[in-house]
Amino acid sequence: MHHSTKKWLFTKFSSALLIPLMLWFIINLVSIYDAEYMELISFFSNPTSKILYSLFVISAFSFFSLTISEVFEDYIKDEKTKNVATKMLYLFAIVMPLVTILSILRLN
Amino acid sequence: MQEKNPLSPHLQIYGWQISSLLSITHRIIGVVNTVAISLICLWTIFLLFGEQNYEVMKSFLQSFFGKFIIMSLIWSFSFHIFNEIRHLIWDLGYGFDLKISKITGVITIVGSLTTTILIYLFSRNLI
Repeated sequence: MHHSTKKWLFTKFSSALLIPLMLWFIINLVSIYDAEYMELISFFSNPTSKILYSLFVISAFSFFSLTISEVFEDYIKDEKTKNVATKMLYLFAIVMPLVTILSILRLN
Repeated sequence: MQEKNPLSPHLQIYGWQISSLLSITHRIIGVVNTVAISLICLWTIFLLFGEQNYEVMKSFLQSFFGKFIIMSLIWSFSFHIFNEIRHLIWDLGYGFDLKISKITGVITIVGSLTTTILIYLFSRNLI
């Protein structure tokens, strides 16, 4: 399979996975965003929230790294700048969810 | 090979239609959502610093501006979900007909606005 086809398929699968997770997240975000600190901690301490939030973050960043790199592909003319931007994007898409999930796991 | 790829056409030479409007909005909102989710991640990381430090964040989120940002985010996420479903249906090979794609475009706009209101009312236990 051509690598672009693989990338396309992976993008589509991650978007299909992301849609229900994102819905779950926004519904919960609206109910807790302005809550007291302890309420937020009790929300994120719940094992279901921990798992769903982690999956949401992972699928969101996989999807972003794949799609934003396409935006770079379309709008950044200079090859070198584009490659650096894409590499930075991939690095960010690995580090950010990793740190977030580790923090969530520590909240009890 | 890659170096010969042309850049995308410049947007300003097109007359606006619902299809092009939704296409570019989908991209812009995609970038906005990336930033938003990164900020949401920082928000959850911030919880680790304890209750005292969270006070600043809480008073911001409880202000009118905080509410406005959250409402905007619900819309931008809903819009992206609706338009992505539209894209997934295209990928399966359906809905390319001009009339159908205009109808699904309108559904995306109206649906995302309605969903925003419904999610807000539902999550705040107002309905």
